[in-house]
Amino acid sequence: MIKFDDVSKTYPGGQLALQKVNFHVAKGEMAFLTGHSGAGKSTILKLISLMERPSVGRVLINGHDLGQLSHKDIPYIRRDIGMIFQSHQLLMDRTVFDNVALPLVIEGYSRKQITKRVHAALDLVGLLSRAQNAPMALSGGQQQRVGIARAIVNRPPLLLADEPTGNLDPKLSMEIMRLFEALNQSGMSVFIATHDLGLIARMKYRNLTIKNGRLIEDGLQEDVLLNETNTKLPSDVHVDNDTPRYR
Amino acid sequence: MSLLFAGRKTAVTEHKVGIVQRFVMTVLNHFRQLLASLGELWRQPLASLMTIGVLGLSITLPSTLYLLVKNTEQVTAGWEQAGEISLYLKPNTSVAQAQQLRLAVSLFSEVEAAELVTADNALIEFEQASGLTNSLAYLDKNPLPHVILITPKASYVQPNAARTLVKKLERQTHVDFGKLDIEWLERLYATVSVARDVVWIVAILLCVSVVLIIGNTIRLNILSQREEIIIMKLVGATDNFIRFPFLYTGMWYGLLGGVLAWILIAFLLWWLQSGIANLANLYQTQFTLTGLDTTALGVILLLSIILGLLGSIISVQKHIKEIEPK
Ligand SMILES: Nc1ncnc2c1ncn2[C@@H]1O[C@H](COP(=O)(O)OP(=O)(O)O)[C@@H](O)[C@H]1O
Ligand SMILES: [Mg+2]
Repeated sequence: MIKFDDVSKTYPGGQLALQKVNFHVAKGEMAFLTGHSGAGKSTILKLISLMERPSVGRVLINGHDLGQLSHKDIPYIRRDIGMIFQSHQLLMDRTVFDNVALPLVIEGYSRKQITKRVHAALDLVGLLSRAQNAPMALSGGQQQRVGIARAIVNRPPLLLADEPTGNLDPKLSMEIMRLFEALNQSGMSVFIATHDLGLIARMKYRNLTIKNGRLIEDGLQEDVLLNETNTKLPSDVHVDNDTPRYR
Repeated sequence: MSLLFAGRKTAVTEHKVGIVQRFVMTVLNHFRQLLASLGELWRQPLASLMTIGVLGLSITLPSTLYLLVKNTEQVTAGWEQAGEISLYLKPNTSVAQAQQLRLAVSLFSEVEAAELVTADNALIEFEQASGLTNSLAYLDKNPLPHVILITPKASYVQPNAARTLVKKLERQTHVDFGKLDIEWLERLYATVSVARDVVWIVAILLCVSVVLIIGNTIRLNILSQREEIIIMKLVGATDNFIRFPFLYTGMWYGLLGGVLAWILIAFLLWWLQSGIANLANLYQTQFTLTGLDTTALGVILLLSIILGLLGSIISVQKHIKEIEPK
């Protein structure tokens, strides 16, 4: 699903953010990207979402070299990738519904489809009753869930999250992780950057560790098994690529 | 279509709509955006009104000047009359021959009166007018020809008829050439034509400033919605998708500016009309100012829409590309 092929990134100004990074995240996999602040996590996610381009090397998604695609293609590629940010990036002057609907409006879905899908996505994150609220009226955790609903509303095969629990307390963080897990179980590939090691220590997933722009470790977190998850996906939320799961 | 995932459902494949239906949907969508852009203007009524006010005034000025020139042309068209025809005789014509010719042309049905100014008299007139006395001392002989001054009858003062009369007179023996006395009118025409050029220049300059004003207003709109644009780009909006609402806003600015200009011009004309009616009364004539006909109004509105669009296109091309999520 995601393949980094000897990728280095030097920012304008000479800041070396990534050095010869190689890894592959398979279809249907859920993986974490950890490392201290400034290690290069966000840079990796920005290379995938085409907010930055590699200085050296190739980034491939589903076998397609992103470097071969033109500037005009960028919006269409972003529609295949759900993105979640630490700062929620919501439109504060629109309702929760309108925020979640945005990717569908952009893609040109009909009103009926939009309503159906937005309601399904909001239901999944437990905010259906807040559809007509302004984001301002919601708590930080709720706003983050609106961001997640927006990222998955058009059922992208790949979900990226950059510090999705950065501002949240441990209990809320765990809830959001369960949500990602449920999405992953429905077939979505999920790639999460976080510096919250305590959080992922409790989950048994692949973990890519990055330090000063170099990938220093790639393996499974073993110690603690995740508690039984009770988050279930509604039947009409599913992912459109039917590739085999990682596990 | 998904570029990365073959077979992934997208809005187009999912809807399974025909090309006609998709076209209708697109048109409806644009119509909705058009209305939404008007709503955007309404969200900041004061700022929008000020912009529209500046645009309206900028369009009013050249339009009013244009109307004034047009009215002047109409008024002077009624004045176009030849006052007098000067008939210059050949140099070796004798005074007796000249007098005979005067008598002959004075009997023409087109001629009201004919007066002979002999070369000698003309020289005396010249000396008196110029102050150069005894000018013959410097010249071998009087260089001036005899001239017959002819006043045409009222029905022959229109330029065309007068010109025909001149041709006819020129065919007489001893006549060198005839000259129609409409120079003052030609001078007036030249002046009006300069005025028309000035109107064009002013109009072009103000059109440019309308484009700049709208371009700058749209630029500010774009910058104030920077966050929103970034978010839209992050979730996969194309530049075009982001562009259209701003183009529509520019169009609205243009259209509303044009409408305001129209109202201002109508008001100005109404205001000038009463003054001009008084003036015309004093001269015991009738005169009505020509206003904007439907064509002129259509041109003004269309032009303002085009200017609005142009300003916003320039701004949007430059600034939307610059705003990229980082
Ligand atoms: N736009 C940028 N311009 C210059 N340097 C940058 C930019 N973004 C990130 N960096 C630098 O690249 C390195 C990696 O940053 P980042 O990927 O944001 O790390 P992380 O997300 O792991 O905290 C840091 O040293 C950071 O200062
Ligand atoms: Mg970061």
